[in-house]
Amino acid sequence: MVQPAQQIAAHHWGMTVDVDRCTGCQACVVACQAENNLPINLEEHFHQKRAFEWIRVERYWEGEFPNIKARFIPILCQHCENAPCEPVCPVYATYHNDQGMNVQVYNRCVGTRYCANGCPYQVRFFNYWEPVWPEALRNQLNPDVTVRSRGVMEKCSFCVQRIRRARIEAKRDGRAVADGEIQPACVQACPTNTLVFGDLNDPNSKVSKLRNGRRAYRLLNDALRTEPNVYYLARVDNDEAEVAHG
Amino acid sequence: MLEFMNRMRRTTPLWVKIIVPLVGLPVTAALAFAVVFVITAWLGKPLPVFGFGEGPEQPIPFPHTAHAGTAVLVDTAGMARKDAQGNDLHGVGLDCAFCHRTVTQSASAGIPAREQCVTCHKVIGSADKDTLARLRELGLGGIEGAINWQRVHRLPDSVRFVHEPHIRYLTTHPAAIENSPDKTIGSATSVTPAQVCSTCHGDIATMTKVKQVEALKMGQCVNCHRDNGAPTDCITCHF
Ligand code: HEC
Ligand code: HEC
Ligand code: HEC
Ligand code: HEC
Ligand code: HEC
Repeated sequence: MVQPAQQIAAHHWGMTVDVDRCTGCQACVVACQAENNLPINLEEHFHQKRAFEWIRVERYWEGEFPNIKARFIPILCQHCENAPCEPVCPVYATYHNDQGMNVQVYNRCVGTRYCANGCPYQVRFFNYWEPVWPEALRNQLNPDVTVRSRGVMEKCSFCVQRIRRARIEAKRDGRAVADGEIQPACVQACPTNTLVFGDLNDPNSKVSKLRNGRRAYRLLNDALRTEPNVYYLARVDNDEAEVAHG
Repeated sequence: MLEFMNRMRRTTPLWVKIIVPLVGLPVTAALAFAVVFVITAWLGKPLPVFGFGEGPEQPIPFPHTAHAGTAVLVDTAGMARKDAQGNDLHGVGLDCAFCHRTVTQSASAGIPAREQCVTCHKVIGSADKDTLARLRELGLGGIEGAINWQRVHRLPDSVRFVHEPHIRYLTTHPAAIENSPDKTIGSATSVTPAQVCSTCHGDIATMTKVKQVEALKMGQCVNCHRDNGAPTDCITCHF
């Protein structure tokens, strides 16, 4: 045994979603689709409930017309610490890594779909078909992301390709990864800064400060104790006391 | 049992007795060969038959010997080549990173643009050399001029490899330098990138046609990562 090549800085990636800022514009959805080589959803896929959206914006109506309000809440893989999807995988294709990420190893996956059944957030998607793109879009596929073939489960990866690249480049240049240097595609595309990504282990990172604030809560955590690494920031309305989702 | 065999011996026609071993032996041999071939191919090093274990044909047969090597160049007959004064011709011994420019900086090593070849081959090499003539006449610039090099090393699509951390580690880390296959550099405190490529690519400088020497199977990657404290998390290489 020789000396370790690197002292892996103990990162713990996490995200905050400020529900108060979300305008439901869907930019994150499109950015994710492009970054991660998601197949194109046709109308029939939605009807079959087999559409792919690693991040989706759910819309709720509140009140009665004319006093009606649209509420938006972006939902992505919550990267749970106690992930219900993980123990059910018979081949360890999904597991929790040491950086707080719920990982999906595509080439290990045999397609039992147990994990999707286990997931209370409905953020896992199964490739029922070989993905196809129109000829014109072939060259826009992201070379840093594997194209998943038929029979494989997939889900939000926190844009692990960007995390890895940033870390490798930081190491090359002999520095630490700066806060805000890593932006998953959805975070980068969000026009209202609803989404913030960063290292939860770093007490000074933006994401740590936000998640330690009073508005932070986690989806379904009180009931299920899944301990997600995605924190939501409750809506603050001027006129009424706000009840948080979840 | 004995009686049964005797009866068989008496009743089997002569032609069957001849045909069966005549057909059976080659078939058994072929099957055994097929099994061996499949097993070796599965382990990543197929038997060197039918062009397996050889590199692909390149559009321009590019000799690493002449460019990266320093040994004496030989002609097709195996004779050492001489220059006009009768001295032996040697390879020019270029640094690997002179052509594979991004190997110390990024994930891919990169193949040099044709412009880089032409800077030398405008003048170097006699005009009647067919390959070099082709190199020159393609004209500079434009996508049409690009040479369609065939990939030799290619991991499956689900694997991500990055050169930069490996070159950095192998050239700077004391333990790596000590274990380096190139023993002549054992005492140095740092080595050049060109000296570590052989860890995974074999001795390219002596190849007239590049071929894959190491199987580059997951076991190799993970073993080295484990022994050297590099990450072995699946998502290091698969995403
Ligand atoms: C530093 C200058 C230099 C560069 C750059 C260079 N070469 Fe060469 N090349 C040489 C020399 C020197 C020889 C040996 C000449 C001889 O064999 O007579 C050679 C030989 C060759 C030959 C063998 C010619 C023959 O048939 O004997 C080929 C083919 C060739 N080079 C192709 C290339 C290609 C393709 C590139 C670009 C990737 C390239 N070279 C870049 C210097 C260079
Ligand atoms: C004159 C430029 C030049 C130099 C110097 C050079 N190479 Fe190359 N190399 C090329 C070209 C052009 C190709 C693509 C053609 C081929 O594969 O034969 C190539 C191909 C390769 C490949 C195979 C790439 C694949 O497709 O998988 C490897 C590995 C490689 N070189 C390693 C080295 C190493 C190691 C050295 C130093 C000992 C070196 N090269 C020096 C130009 C060069
Ligand atoms: C740790 C093992 C390792 C070392 C050390 C290594 N390589 Fe590679 N190299 C690989 C693997 C694996 C691939 C195939 C990558 C792929 O398919 O994505 C590759 C591919 C290549 C290629 C073709 C594809 C590309 O990236 O452009 C070239 C050229 C190359 N290597 C050159 C070099 C040179 C030059 C060096 C030394 C400075 C070197 N390699 C050192 C493992 C290594
Ligand atoms: C010679 C031993 C060795 C071999 C063989 C090797 N690696 Fe590595 N690899 C290392 C070391 C050491 C590091 C860590 C370098 C550092 O960051 O200090 C590393 C780092 C990496 C990284 C970047 C890790 C990060 O920090 O994110 C990737 C990706 C990687 N290797 C993939 C591969 C693959 C794929 C193969 C097989 C084709 C392979 N390696 C073969 C030694 C090796
Ligand atoms: C250091 C890099 C590295 C790490 C870490 C790594 N792998 Fe691999 N893996 C590879 C390479 C390279 C290949 C392709 C070569 C081969 O087939 O062996 C591969 C191939 C595979 C395959 C075969 C895919 C196929 O199509 O046959 C599976 C399954 C796999 N890996 C699963 C895993 C799992 C699960 C983990 C985590 C425990 C893991 N790998 C960690 C480098 C790595």
